[in-house]
Amino acid sequence: MLRMELASTVQSTAANSAQEQAAGPTFSLRGLSKLYGEGASAVHALRSVDLDIAERELVVLLGPSGSGKSTLLNILGGLDRPSSGEVLFKGESLVSMDDRELTRYRREHVGFVFQFYNLIPSLTARENVELVNEIASNPLPAAEALGLVGLGDRLDHFPAQLSGGEQQRVAVARAIAKRPAILLCDEPTGALDVRTGVRVLEALVEVNDRFGSTTLVVTHNADVARLGDRVVRFLDGGIRQIETNAKRAAPTELVW
Amino acid sequence: MRILDRKLLRDVWRMRINAIAIALVLGCGLAIFVMAVGMRASLENTRRDYYAQQRMADLAVSLVRAPEQLEADLAAIPDVSAVDVRISGLALLDLPGMVEPASARLVSLPRSGRPRVNDLVLAKGRWPDPALADEILLNEAFADALGLTMGDTVEATLHGRRQTLRIAGIANSPEFVFVSAPGELFPQPERYGVIWMGHEALARAYDLESAFNEAIFRLSSGANSERAKKAIDALVERYGSTGAYGRDRMPSDRFLVEELRQLATMAAFLPAFFLVIAAFLVNIALARIIATERSNIGLLKAFGYTDGAVAWHYAKSALLLGAIGALLGSIAGVWLGRLMASVYRDYYHFPRLDFDAPLLTFLAAWTAAFVAAAAGALAAVLRAARIAPAAALAAPRPASFRSSNGLFGALARRLDAKSRIILRRIVRFPRRSATTVFGVSLAIALLVVARTFPAVMDRLLDLHFSQANRQDVTLSFIDARSAAVLNVIERLPGVIYAEPARIDSVILRRGGRDVEEALIGAPPNARLSRLIGLSEGPVSTPVSGITLSRALAEKLRAGPGDEIEIEQTRGRRIRAVVRVASIADPMVGSSAYMDLDQQARLFREPGQITGANVRLDSSSYARFNREIKETPVLAGASFLSLAEQSMRRSFDEGVGYMNFIYAAFAAIMAGGVAFSAARITLAEQERDLATLRVLGFTRAEVSYVLVGELAALAILAVPFGCLLGTLLAQWLMNLFETDMYSFPYVFNPGGYVFAILFTLSCVVLAALTVRSGIDRLDMVGVLKSRD
Repeated sequence: MLRMELASTVQSTAANSAQEQAAGPTFSLRGLSKLYGEGASAVHALRSVDLDIAERELVVLLGPSGSGKSTLLNILGGLDRPSSGEVLFKGESLVSMDDRELTRYRREHVGFVFQFYNLIPSLTARENVELVNEIASNPLPAAEALGLVGLGDRLDHFPAQLSGGEQQRVAVARAIAKRPAILLCDEPTGALDVRTGVRVLEALVEVNDRFGSTTLVVTHNADVARLGDRVVRFLDGGIRQIETNAKRAAPTELVW
Repeated sequence: MRILDRKLLRDVWRMRINAIAIALVLGCGLAIFVMAVGMRASLENTRRDYYAQQRMADLAVSLVRAPEQLEADLAAIPDVSAVDVRISGLALLDLPGMVEPASARLVSLPRSGRPRVNDLVLAKGRWPDPALADEILLNEAFADALGLTMGDTVEATLHGRRQTLRIAGIANSPEFVFVSAPGELFPQPERYGVIWMGHEALARAYDLESAFNEAIFRLSSGANSERAKKAIDALVERYGSTGAYGRDRMPSDRFLVEELRQLATMAAFLPAFFLVIAAFLVNIALARIIATERSNIGLLKAFGYTDGAVAWHYAKSALLLGAIGALLGSIAGVWLGRLMASVYRDYYHFPRLDFDAPLLTFLAAWTAAFVAAAAGALAAVLRAARIAPAAALAAPRPASFRSSNGLFGALARRLDAKSRIILRRIVRFPRRSATTVFGVSLAIALLVVARTFPAVMDRLLDLHFSQANRQDVTLSFIDARSAAVLNVIERLPGVIYAEPARIDSVILRRGGRDVEEALIGAPPNARLSRLIGLSEGPVSTPVSGITLSRALAEKLRAGPGDEIEIEQTRGRRIRAVVRVASIADPMVGSSAYMDLDQQARLFREPGQITGANVRLDSSSYARFNREIKETPVLAGASFLSLAEQSMRRSFDEGVGYMNFIYAAFAAIMAGGVAFSAARITLAEQERDLATLRVLGFTRAEVSYVLVGELAALAILAVPFGCLLGTLLAQWLMNLFETDMYSFPYVFNPGGYVFAILFTLSCVVLAALTVRSGIDRLDMVGVLKSRD
């Protein structure tokens, strides 16, 4: 069922994103640098990155380990701060926000999907979603969010009773239930095999289409890159190349 | 150092807060153990040496009057190595600067040389000059309490004759380590002392020229004490003897033995309590280490380490904690012991008392520490050894939870998600939750016990001084007098009301058992001095027959309806058989009770009394005292308010002091349990809590999940802690019961409130301290880690 739904929406994606790009960027990054440590042992995780990310855009951040893509994702998610440079979210500076404001930013705008799911083991699938809904203003009902990722029949299962792919889809449902402006995914398929990985990616694409959440997917898997509107290639803390896909591939077309 | 051992040290360092908590709790328990066992051994040694050096009497016998020639016959008894015959009596003292009359035991010194038995240690001054009848030695506790010194004089009424005595020296005797007036429950050094003086002077005062009324004996080594008693009895029977007796009837030694027994009880019970807690803390700490070390354990095994080697590796960290605790406990125990030894030395005037714990004590302490640590580690270590390497290296599955349909399920569905996390974790890990609840309960229980003691003391003093004894003063006469003497007493200044009293010192015998006790005669419907039973309230003495206190009845194995034989130890030594009418439960004392008139008739002194209980108008207090100091018939005056004061003081100094230490240790334990539980909960939940933070939950919301779990478990522990504390307190009160006192459990609501609030505060404080860890949660790191 999910497959069919996706198939019908995939075609319109490219057109949509092109149209939205005109409305002003969701994120605007200028001279963004992140330095860990100091002196001789200092590590440049990010070196003066400039990037604009449009609303509704699905951007894949690609690169080897340590190239800076996760650091960027963490900064955009309000989990980390840059050493220098500026990040604007819809014109508002993340850099100038204090801890409390960053918490509110995450709470109101950001959905996260992590490599290791990070579900609360003591809550069922439905409750893991409701956990976030309790602090969101206009959330999707948990059952509906889980239905979207194809877990409508696993609502009352605990994480331990779900497979890895199912757990990750619960995480996706949890991330999208609050209809976030931004969906940040760090290696969402990193711990999964191909088949389950595809199902998770299908869910992500579906969410991006349906809610128009600006979506960033970090991966070191080059094939996943075909999924995005744009692919940003990282190397050694800087952007090496940005490609625009003429047509986004469907998750089912991917091989890795 | 081997790499693995280096890892071990770092592991312990990583959980240093838990390690400190464990070591402190272990240390507290072992400190009490070392202190109590060491103190007992030291006191035992001191007693032995003191008794040996000063030739403490093995046997004694008191008589009405025996000729001095009898001494040679007594000395010739085969088992006897030394004998002293002497004169002993009581005197009322009029001391400068003291309103109330004090009293003293008078003991004669040999005509020449030092006592062969019960020799004295001269603390200050010199021995009295035998040529000077008025020179005396005073016992040190009395002299210190009243600030008397050499050259000072004491006005004494000896056998109705007033005399001025001059202090030549201050001395101590093994016979009078504890000095308490006859009929008094507690030593009152400022009210009652011991005076040693020349034989001739005392003989004149008591009309005992060329005679004696007391003999004391040292037995040769290997002597048969029962045979010696029989031989002595055969010689002295016709001189009004009540029979030779051993140290078990010498009051001072009985007190000392009781003190030693209590130290032994303390050494056995309290440390065990702390060791259990320490084992429990080791268990939760080590279980946590091993949980986080799963993959390392897999790795070690993959490298080829055996199960045994892995188990030993983790067991060593427990033993290390045991060693730290044992070291702390040994040092603190010696320190406490030395402190206590100096208190004992000053209080009992031992010539020397050094805290010297036998090596075996430390050996036992260290063994106990290792056993407790190992016992605590056992389950966790076995778990480590059992982990299969492949399973340990693979990513762990999330802890499995199942939905429950029962009460918890229904409850969980009604809660918000954060509370649901708390509830599910508690229900899902019942053993872990139970250990936290258990630990907090123990802390509450120990504090309840510590706070029950003072309440029991208060109850005891209240019962004895406010309900049982409502007189202001008890007067005792030098011998039995007609009840008409009450008229004289009622005419003394300030006397509102006087009630007759009769106390006979008697030996009670039944079925080969004999006990020396006071037989207290009370008038029917006594208003002042009453027998109050623990549960039954005021008990009226039986019209016929005798009432025994429970302790006494148990010693004689007598019950209502049984016949017992009683014999006076003073006066006319009359023997009689009486029937036990009832058993009573007084909190204080283990006497026997009779109707006053019946008792007087029994001892063939109808209508005669030995004392009076008096209620005074306080405005005439000084005049009353001036008058009684001049009244020749009085042998002693006991002032209830003074007795209460001194009893309270000694409780505060002794029991209060120990109680303070227990309360402090209980607090350390409560803190230790709370901190361990809080830190471990944080460590276990770190990843989930960080995830919540990432998802946009505020610090306060995340703190709720952490603190909420601890708070819920702590609140759950409250009823268990109260129950456990109550049971422990009841058990302990029984354990500390002596001949003199029975300690009923007293419900002290304030104590419970204190125990609960204090422990919960510890938990909250611990939770708040740990909560600051939420501010430092590594939100980025947690997303990259598996678990």
